[in-house]
This record gives sequence, C-alpha cells and structure tokens, in this order.
Amino acid sequence: MEMAQKVPSKVSYIIFYSVLILFAIFYLLPFWGALTTSVKTAKDVAVTSPLSLPTNITLSPYAEAFKELKKPLLNSLLITIGGMLGSVFLGSICGYALAKYRFKYDNLVLLLLISGIFLPYQAILVPLFQTIRALNLYDTILGLVLTHAVYGIPMCALMFRGFYGDIPDCLIQQAMVDGNGPWRIYRKIILPSTRIATVTVIVFQFTSIWNELLFGLIIGGPDSMPATVALNNMMGTLAAEWNVQMAGSILLAMPVLILYVVMGKYLIRGYMAGAVTAS
Amino acid sequence: MREFFKRHPLIILVIPIGLILYFVYFCIGWNVWVSVSDWKGLTPSYRFNGFYAYTKLFTDSTFWLSLRNTLLLFAIIPICIVLGLLLAILMDQEGLKGSNIFRNLFLLPFTLSFVVTGTIWAWMYNPTNGIINSLFRSIGLNSLAGTWHTSQETVMLSIMIALIWQFSGYVALIFLAGIKSVSQDQINAAKLDGASNLRIYRRLIIPQLKAPLTTAIVILAMYALRSFDFIWVLTGGGPGYASHTLPILMYKETFQATNFSIGAAIGNVLLMIVLVLVIPFTYRTYRR
Repeated sequence: MEMAQKVPSKVSYIIFYSVLILFAIFYLLPFWGALTTSVKTAKDVAVTSPLSLPTNITLSPYAEAFKELKKPLLNSLLITIGGMLGSVFLGSICGYALAKYRFKYDNLVLLLLISGIFLPYQAILVPLFQTIRALNLYDTILGLVLTHAVYGIPMCALMFRGFYGDIPDCLIQQAMVDGNGPWRIYRKIILPSTRIATVTVIVFQFTSIWNELLFGLIIGGPDSMPATVALNNMMGTLAAEWNVQMAGSILLAMPVLILYVVMGKYLIRGYMAGAVTAS
Repeated sequence: MREFFKRHPLIILVIPIGLILYFVYFCIGWNVWVSVSDWKGLTPSYRFNGFYAYTKLFTDSTFWLSLRNTLLLFAIIPICIVLGLLLAILMDQEGLKGSNIFRNLFLLPFTLSFVVTGTIWAWMYNPTNGIINSLFRSIGLNSLAGTWHTSQETVMLSIMIALIWQFSGYVALIFLAGIKSVSQDQINAAKLDGASNLRIYRRLIIPQLKAPLTTAIVILAMYALRSFDFIWVLTGGGPGYASHTLPILMYKETFQATNFSIGAAIGNVLLMIVLVLVIPFTYRTYRR
C-alpha cells in the first residue's frame, strides 16, 4: 500500500508537543501543589511557595488526616461495594432482558430507564429523605447502599444493554432450542462471554459512588458518613491547616487513582459507554 | 412458584423496575405534592397550600440569582468543546508518541471526586499563599494575583475555570474516539489528492463529529444543571449568595432552613429545565 505522503514536519511536531506539554502542566499543576503541600509542616506551608519542593518531608499531615478519615473511609468502602454490587446486578438483568427479549411494554421500560439518567436528584431528594427515614435507614450504611444501588440502575442497565447487544442472537437461539431458560442462558452464555463489559461497568460504578457527595450529605449522619462528607467537614473545621487538607484529599482520591492506574483501560471504556448511553 | 417462574422468567425484572418506578417516578409525583403543601419545619405536613411555594420562590431575588448562575455555567460548554477538540486533534497527529499518556493525564481530573478537586482548588485559589497567587508572584505578575473564589465579582469565574479544568479532558476523550472512528480510507484518499492536514480536519473529519458533539453538550449541560458537589465544597454558595446555583439553594432551603415545600418547588424547577432543554435536544439529534 502506498504510504500517505503528508506526515507533519519536524517543526510542527515541536509545536504539537509544546502545546500538549503546556496543557499537561495546566492539568497537573493543582495535583503538584497538593502533593508538595501534603508533606510539609504547617510552618513550612506558611512560609514557602506551595509549588516548591519540601525541604524536610513529614508524613504527619497524612497521619492526622487518616485519624479523621479512618471511619468515613471504611464507610465509603462498604457503601461503594454494596451500592456497586446492587446497581450492577440489577442493571445487568435489565440490560439483558432489554437487549435480548421482546416483552410487553419493553419500549416503555427502556424509556423509563433512559429518562432516569437525566433525573436531577433535587427533584426527588425530599421524598427520598422521607422514604429512608420511614424505613429506619437514616444514617445507616444500608440506607446509602440502597440509594446508590437504585439510582445506579438506569446507567448500568443501558450500558449493559449496549454490551449485550453485541452478542450474536444465534447463540441464544441455539441455547433456547437446547431447552435452556433465559436465566440459565444468562449465567452460562451471557455472563461468561462479557467479562470485560462487567469489569467496565463495575469500575465505572465504583468510582461514581466513591466520588459522590450529595446522598452522603442527606442520608448519612455521624455513624455512616462517607469520606467525601467527612473531608468536606474537615475543611470547615481546619481551615488553616492546608497540609492536612491536602493529605486528606489525596487519601480520598487514592482508591480511584489506583484504579485508574491499574484498570484505566476499563475506566475509559466505561466513560465512553456512559457517554454514548447518556446521550 | 417454581412453575410460575419458569413460565414467566422475566418476572424477576419486577424488582429493578419496581424500584425505579418508586424511587424515580413516584417520588417525582410526591415531590410535586410537597411543593404545593404547607410543609415547613421538620414535621411533614401535606395540607394543600396552592402555589404559595412557587410565588414565594419567584419573588425571591436569591432564586433569580441562583437561576442566573446555573445558566451561567452553560458558558463552560463551548469552551470545553473548543479546548477538547483542539486537544483531541493534537493527540491524533500521526506519529505522535505518547498520545495515550497525554490522554490519561488530561482525563485525570475527571476521574476524581468533586470533593477532592474542590478542596484542591480552594488551595489553588487561596488569596494569601495559594498555588495560583504564589505562581503569579514568583514570576513577577503580582497584578494578576487575585481574590478568586473569595470575592463576589470573581467567584463564578473561578468556579468555571476549575470546571473547565475538570471536564475538558473528558470532552477531548469523546472527540478523540470520534476522530478515530472516521474511516481511514477516506482520510488516505484525501491525502492522495494532496489535501493539507488542516483541510482534512476542517472538511472531512470535523463535519463527522456530530454525535460526539451532541454527547459532550448533553453531558456538560447535565453537570451544569446538577452543579452541587463542587460548588458546595469550594464556596458553599458564597461569598454571600454570589455562587448560589439552584441545587445549592435547594439544599439550603430544604435541609438547613427546613422550608420543605420551597425546596421541593426548586427541585421541580430544575426538573422542568431538564425536560425543556435537554430531552428535546437529545431526541431531535437521535431521531434523524
């Protein structure tokens, strides 16, 4: 095959790289400032530039932030895992049914789910608050798990619907002829052949629930407070101690950062699928 | 039971669909009811009170300020789109090494919680020795060192800059995927015809990016309308009322001032905006 002739010249590469590097600095600058500040003593924070390297590194801001955030971080982990499992499982069975079966009112179900993605939560917060209180779930991990599981269903269902749609129908028809019911097919064919899709949705849901503030603020209390709420409260009480706040931010970001480094491919796939779904 | 389940296997869908019907649709109806009730204070009260909450809201200047700020956030949409498209095109250049690294770096802010980025930007903008002002002072641009999110005049601008920082990498990702899906044959054919790189983007690639463009607009608009977390962490709606958006106002009216009927009314206003702006836009683009 003939090579495309117009490859950009050396000069343009230099320009491309310079612009990209400039933007990379713009995107990374806040993190750099947070990182250096988080390992400085309070005295150094007051007298040095936040961008300068620390002269004497201290981890005590992390110790202090961790003391404040230990329980909320554990709460967040439980809420996130519970809410993620609930929404992924319920979304998956909805997505499967919508992708592979025609049933009564299937289009209506699809419409109800799509509209759910666009719901501004402010329009249901009061009834949600009342429901959770009536169920005696206010300030409990279970209350937050339930909330996240439910409001995660629309996005998960539509993402799974897209992924399951790629499985050839003939596979399913053959299995049906062999006398398998829909849920046997789900377990034996659909789930094993879409492992990557499942991981994608799991990573996507994990980060969105972990990062969330509003529900935690309204349904969480002293016992069940997630780390997002706790970090925000810390800001109110320790306004002067920026090193502790930055250490706290980094602690809160850590699980997502690790996930991004280790499974970034899946998270990016999730963002793409989510983007297509949401529009 | 077993027999029934065998005959109607999809009956299990009753659970997720029932949850959605209750927690989304029934709750919307309930919220409308709250908004026309006289519920004030912590004890629920559902006596019909007409449009009291709405009249009260529409005659409150804080409401109009919050609405204006909410719509003002839409201004980040075109900026994120231009910036995202520029970055996507740069990363798409043939033979450019490390474009994945750039993509991952640009996307990093989007992966993090608004609570993390809000806290970090509070430090960025800190007027006394925050990151931005220290940077300006160290390169001798003292005049650019500002009061950022702590003054009424610049608070919305500060919020918008930070949100552009957080979202533009995501928009770049959406556009990059769109560019990559343009057929390589078409691009090669145009190259053989001697079309310049710039011309290929302008005439061939960008016109094919309608779907990613719609996606980006819808997602950014939804974030703008639901803008609570970031603003709550950075400014709490202040100084004064200067950075109140509708979600912030709703939270304060409902869960701090316990004006439940007014809070519910604000929620309904947001829902109406979504119904009027976002859904027809999505529908029109996808019907074609």
